Amino acid sequence: MTNENTPLGRVTISPRAIATIAYQAARQSYGVVGLTSKNLVEGITQVIVKDPTHGIEVKYDEENISIDIYVIIEYGTRIKSVASSVSNTVKFNVEKALGMPVNQVNVHVRGLRVSDTD
Amino acid sequence: MDQEEHSLQAPEQLYPNQKYPVEGQVFKSLIEASLTWLRTNQQAINVLNVFPVPDGDTGTNMVLTMQAAWDEISHSAERNVGRLTHMVAHGALMGARGNSGVILSQLWRGFARSLDNHEILDGPLLVNALHQGRNTAYKGVVRPVEGTILTVAKDITAEAESSLAITSDPYELLERIVNAADISVQQTPELLAVLKEAGVVDAGGKGLFIILEGMLRFVKGLPLDVANASVQPLASMKLENTLERMEPGQDFEVIVDFHPNEQLNIPQVYEDLQHMGTSIQLGEGDGIYRMHIHVPADKLYEPIQYTNSLGVVTKAAIENLRAQLEKVEHEAGSTIQFSPVEPGQIASIAVAPGPGIARVFASLGVSAIVEGGQTMNPSTQEILNAFENLPTDQIVILPNNKNIILSAQAAAQLTVKHVTVIPTSSVPQGMAAMMRLIPTGKAEEVLAEMTAAINDIETGEITTATRSVQIDGVNVKEGQLICLLNGKLVLSANNLKDATLGLLKKAHADHFELITLFYGTDVTRMEVDDIADSIRKKFPEQEIEVQDGGQPHYQFIISVE
Repeated sequence: MTNENTPLGRVTISPRAIATIAYQAARQSYGVVGLTSKNLVEGITQVIVKDPTHGIEVKYDEENISIDIYVIIEYGTRIKSVASSVSNTVKFNVEKALGMPVNQVNVHVRGLRVSDTD
Repeated sequence: MDQEEHSLQAPEQLYPNQKYPVEGQVFKSLIEASLTWLRTNQQAINVLNVFPVPDGDTGTNMVLTMQAAWDEISHSAERNVGRLTHMVAHGALMGARGNSGVILSQLWRGFARSLDNHEILDGPLLVNALHQGRNTAYKGVVRPVEGTILTVAKDITAEAESSLAITSDPYELLERIVNAADISVQQTPELLAVLKEAGVVDAGGKGLFIILEGMLRFVKGLPLDVANASVQPLASMKLENTLERMEPGQDFEVIVDFHPNEQLNIPQVYEDLQHMGTSIQLGEGDGIYRMHIHVPADKLYEPIQYTNSLGVVTKAAIENLRAQLEKVEHEAGSTIQFSPVEPGQIASIAVAPGPGIARVFASLGVSAIVEGGQTMNPSTQEILNAFENLPTDQIVILPNNKNIILSAQAAAQLTVKHVTVIPTSSVPQGMAAMMRLIPTGKAEEVLAEMTAAINDIETGEITTATRSVQIDGVNVKEGQLICLLNGKLVLSANNLKDATLGLLKKAHADHFELITLFYGTDVTRMEVDDIADSIRKKFPEQEIEVQDGGQPHYQFIISVE
């Protein structure tokens, strides 16, 4: 949990909540056509449960938040640019929502979707 | 078919460049015009950038993307418009930068695929190509956000499709498309709340409009190097920018609020103001206009007199930018002016261990400095940040320390720019390389020259030993001064004068012409002057230069050349 103390008590934000924000941001990023699981077994179970944090992994310790995103990118786009846009967008949106710095956003390109071939 | 045949049967011409059928070379001119116009309006687009991340680089990204597209065709004599657009699409894809750049490259990709091998772009083909461009671009995202460049692409396609019933002339269609793009851009705040909150239109959408408008301006024979006159809402005027890089003729910032007596002729006002200064902005809110301009000292009062002639001045503010800039720089501990760089040029980044050395690098023409040296290695991210926002794709990094070469190479891997790390392992080597930089030169040749220059110079370094050791037959006691020549320990000494003279002797300074001493924070100017005098006596033939390097740990960094 990510904690913050207020005069009235403690506010905790779960990694899952953070993952949801990251998920929304990633899905809106141009060039990202899907999020996917880190591994196959997880992927199969995920198909059954529509999970709003699918393909996102949030790690934290004390004050460091690091986010891993597993994406599928549209074939024919410049992957490097798309990936850097994704990490910027996710970092910005999570930081905006939480008011806490995100230390790391790692984008893992797990595959490409081919809808057209040139 | 050759071109003459076509121009003979041209219909009535409205504009100077409307007579040509759109074959490859005509399309090439259109691309060039759109790039030029985009570059002219780059800053105006940058300030609009609030979505998806407000980092103010959309204009720059789109310029770099179109620049890459242009580079692909600039030397091409291809007459087949289909094949030429394929080259444009390829260039845009390879150079795509940022969100808008990627989307732009997809628009071009669809556009080119639709034109395939057609020799000439006519109306129906244009409409179809726009249609394909839009489709391809929309395929790249699961949840398209409306109110962006995608929306503008969609709207212009719809306009083009319905216009085909009225005209099939590609130039007339272009005019309609540009109008539709303009309207669509104005609508973006209605579709995307963040834009409305910030009081701006979408930057990427605006960029697409500018690209199309640049083509139209070319057709009409209008100038492409003077920015669009525009009025923005007062709330969105960003006046606290432009400070970091001051150009000549920007001595004063003048801001005037005024009530015009009658409806303002905006383009006329812009044109009048352009005779006085630069960085012109005009804002409007509740009938009050705010004019912002940077002027040289001798034209300080002209904007005020001018706005006074337009109506009633309610407030005028003048700020001395030079003084302000000096203050800012003073606070930052330096007065460094970097060389501005244009898209396509080679920009250089140097790692400097002290403010004095940074200043020398700046005077040699680097575009950015990263602080760092022995025991304070900059991170890959810091190096990346230094060049990522420069408006060019060709970057040279001078790490100037062998421990930093690796992070510089790592930074080079993390960017879409073409980055070359010249393996300079000392400040003098970096300076020697900088001397050979020709920003407008051919990258390969310039880089080879720069790399070769590293060996033309001898580097001496003097520092205090932190432990007792024996290396290469030199005995060193902790606290003694040690002298390194080209990174190798050659001498130890008990005082700075002996160390310096001994080092110069080892470097065979008498065979060279110029000795430059960069003294660090641990020595006083008096000591340095004394040592410089001794050097002059010992090496009367050589020229001696003394510079305040401001580096920590190293009493002296010495270049012998």
